[in-house]
Amino acid sequence: MTLLQITLSLPALLLAQQPNQPSLPQQLSDALAQAKPGGFVGSAVCRTCHPDVWLNFFRNPHYKSLASGKEPPERTGCESCHGPGQDHVAARGGRATIPKAFSIMPPRQILDTCLGCHQKDFSRADIRRSSHSQSEVACASCHSIHRSPVQKYLLAKQQTELCYECHANVRTQFAMPFKHRVNEGFMNCSDCHNPHGSPAPTWRMGLRPRMVTQALGNEEPCLKCHTDKRGPFAFEHPAVRVDGCESCHNPHGSTNAKLLRRPAIFTTCLECHNGAGNFGRQGDGIALQSPTHDMRNPRYQNCTTCHVRIHGSNADRLFLR
Amino acid sequence: MRPHVFWFLAMAALGQTPIAPTPHATGSPRGENTSGYNVLNSFETGYRWFTLGGNYGKYRSDVNFGNGIRLLGGSLRVNSREGHGRLFDEMSLNTRGLGNDPYQSASLRLEKNRWYRYDMLWRLNEYFNPALPIAGGLHQMDTRRRFQDHDFTLFPQSGFKLFAGYTRNTQTGPALSTVQLFDPRGDEFPLLASIDRRRNEYRLGGEVPLYGFKLNVLRGWDRFEDDTPQRVSLLERGNNPADNTTLSSLRRTEPYQGDSPYWRLTLFRSSRRFALNARYSNVSGRRDFLFDEVAVGTDRINAARNRQILVAGSGSRPVVSGSLNLTLLPSERVTLTHHTSFHNTRMDGSGAYREVENNRTAGTILDFQFLGIRGIQTITDATLKLTNTFGLYGGYHYATRRIRSTQGQRFDNFTDVVRSGQDNRIHSGLGGIRLRPAKGFTIQLDAEIGRADRPFYPISEKNYHAINARAQYRTRAVLLSATTRTLYNNNSVSLFSHSSRSRQYSYDASWSPSSKLSFDAGYSKLHLDTNTGLAFFAASQLIEDERSVYVSNVHAGHLGLRFEIHRRVDLQAGYSMVKDTGDGRSAAAIVAPAPPAGATARQTLLVSQTFPLSFQSPSARLSVRLHNKLRWNAGYQHYGYSEDFFQLTYQNYRAHTGYTSLLWSF
Repeated sequence: MTLLQITLSLPALLLAQQPNQPSLPQQLSDALAQAKPGGFVGSAVCRTCHPDVWLNFFRNPHYKSLASGKEPPERTGCESCHGPGQDHVAARGGRATIPKAFSIMPPRQILDTCLGCHQKDFSRADIRRSSHSQSEVACASCHSIHRSPVQKYLLAKQQTELCYECHANVRTQFAMPFKHRVNEGFMNCSDCHNPHGSPAPTWRMGLRPRMVTQALGNEEPCLKCHTDKRGPFAFEHPAVRVDGCESCHNPHGSTNAKLLRRPAIFTTCLECHNGAGNFGRQGDGIALQSPTHDMRNPRYQNCTTCHVRIHGSNADRLFLR
Repeated sequence: MRPHVFWFLAMAALGQTPIAPTPHATGSPRGENTSGYNVLNSFETGYRWFTLGGNYGKYRSDVNFGNGIRLLGGSLRVNSREGHGRLFDEMSLNTRGLGNDPYQSASLRLEKNRWYRYDMLWRLNEYFNPALPIAGGLHQMDTRRRFQDHDFTLFPQSGFKLFAGYTRNTQTGPALSTVQLFDPRGDEFPLLASIDRRRNEYRLGGEVPLYGFKLNVLRGWDRFEDDTPQRVSLLERGNNPADNTTLSSLRRTEPYQGDSPYWRLTLFRSSRRFALNARYSNVSGRRDFLFDEVAVGTDRINAARNRQILVAGSGSRPVVSGSLNLTLLPSERVTLTHHTSFHNTRMDGSGAYREVENNRTAGTILDFQFLGIRGIQTITDATLKLTNTFGLYGGYHYATRRIRSTQGQRFDNFTDVVRSGQDNRIHSGLGGIRLRPAKGFTIQLDAEIGRADRPFYPISEKNYHAINARAQYRTRAVLLSATTRTLYNNNSVSLFSHSSRSRQYSYDASWSPSSKLSFDAGYSKLHLDTNTGLAFFAASQLIEDERSVYVSNVHAGHLGLRFEIHRRVDLQAGYSMVKDTGDGRSAAAIVAPAPPAGATARQTLLVSQTFPLSFQSPSARLSVRLHNKLRWNAGYQHYGYSEDFFQLTYQNYRAHTGYTSLLWSF
């Protein structure tokens, strides 16, 4: 149907919706009469009353189901998501008559509906146990199917703004002087996180972080970009492998250089390298620094001036070169 | 464009940095139709400028915008009207910052329904880090990182799919590092490096239906090469004037290359009442290296030194992981999930270290290291929606980890091998409630408590609990939210204790009463205090009763206002601020970094345990619609960084940045 045809049909539709005009327009009556088993009337009927949605629907990824022309009615166009439209047409509209009206559906039902098609994707394997699903943040909380201003993934807003709405503390971290370039548009939250859930991390024991994606097969996503830190090295710094990069770094942003957790290098190191029993690789404490290091001397407070290869070294077990 | 979509875009810019490119749109939102395709196209091109007072290196580290003409943003979207285009049905190209911005990106999607989909993402980052607090400013980097990802899917809508992909990641540019010579107490010297790193990854895979399951297989080949030469060719004095060590030349080459091929397999099946997916991945990383360093100079006692270090060896790290997810959906209101995962990491590295000193070899040291980490985790969660306004959530998590370590060294006939093994376990429970007392109003409360028997590090989580709460009210025009997050951890064993307390509070509000006005504001406070036992040496004396007390109180706020001055003119103003007040001491109370003679170790440490600073950025942008397809924009943004510690201000700066641009569509 062309734009002209839709425009011409609008006055008829408006008249048809007057209380003293109970009968449906002829084309809708015909559509009802020709409804397929299950009450599917076809997307052509929907566009009669929803031309604003229809006009831009060819840009929508879901338009593929219509363009294909080979899908069954329950997987074609509007009714593939919203359900059969027969009752809705017969009632002349109204949200309550739409079998699946996302604006009034409970989150779990929205999730079930979308996953009907999208669950098979690898990236959504953990969606049922993701923090978002458990917090009732369902698909429609972040995606706007019909009015997305973003070209990819039908997001309701730019990705960072979307995430910041709930994660305001993270917005603060990315506004710090040392940060990953998310606000600058160089990165997105989804470079490191999977908003649809991710498996338990392989680089630490605890539950947190819960939504960090695995990269390079099954490793910490930091290593995807910071390839020189990945190793393997002849001498690994166990901190990197056993508890992950977050042992020393704040990944979002920090007031400290190199996104470190402490402003001074020596406290970053000494809080672990204090010889306290039970900890570390041998289980008998993480090694103290050498007695030759006078910690009152600023020279020894910059540990990485000498221990330059702190993420791992091939030439020196003390990471000196 | 519909008004509320426009508000979304406008809101996206409020309180954010940087101000360019502008989020405004030009042209018809319906695009132009030609040859069965619909085309939407807009480009913003303009000139950026900046002036600076203060530390240029720190400015480059934090902001890094320069002068010059830019293609600030570009967008091209071509869609077939009927979904049956000849070569493609969708083409989407977006660019940002092209033409010399420090952060540049371009993404492309090309898709032909039912036949193929191609995604490309290219990014460039000019990374400058003066790292002044690190190694006395001697660890600098001025590198350029380029990333590109290509993913191609054949038959994307069918049950049988094929995938192919390629990723390239390079880092090049000069850097400054340090080297410490010629003995463990020798001096440190700056060392120039020309960083040259490359990573190439190739992927091939497919998805097929298999006995009611979906089987997804991906095979990847990953190659990493680091050929960074380092050298010093002038007579150098070290960092410490009292040290007599000199360096007249140093040459270091250390090619480091290897592959990390991997397999990833996924099986998936779902029905109305359950979903099951299993995943297995295997990465077998291996790197080979050669290290050759020749250093000529004099040592601490003025003896001539001519030393060559040769190391050859390899490292390998196979990582195997798998997981099984089972989801049960017994009713519309109940979701039960169980996740079991395992991972096994086996790192071993070996090297032969040979030192030639003044033409005499000191023999060869053989090193061997092994670190094995095997972990198993189970997570069981239940979500119960009791009513439409009230839901419950609970879960239990158990993880066990075995760590085995071997460290061996052999020199002549002397062999030293240390072997150890340990088991760690952690139990944690989670619970929460979800309330929807009114339409658009949600309240969430969560709590987690965990106990670990033997954490690996003194600062790892041992006895911890976390409490999170969030209230959010959202209508079409208003968003109000308040969030608090608390995480307390206590890791204590005999004679040692570490405690960490993190409390975060955030409040946000946005209001968009009409397309002509929108307002956005937020405040966050991030508090962290940690108290950790320290042991270290001072004047060769072991100090064991000291503590590291770190306090950070970050106050951050952002404000944004956008309003339509005239039907053709929009004005946006924003302000963001981050201020760390440290532990509350004023700058004047903090002594210089080098403590006075006779200072105790505690005094030495205290000066470094607080780091008050402020970083703020007010901004404004004027956007004028000159024509339906043309907008003129002008923006200004100030960046101010100020440190209040050590009574030093050498990293402070004040930068004025701005741009003017034309945004046009055709």
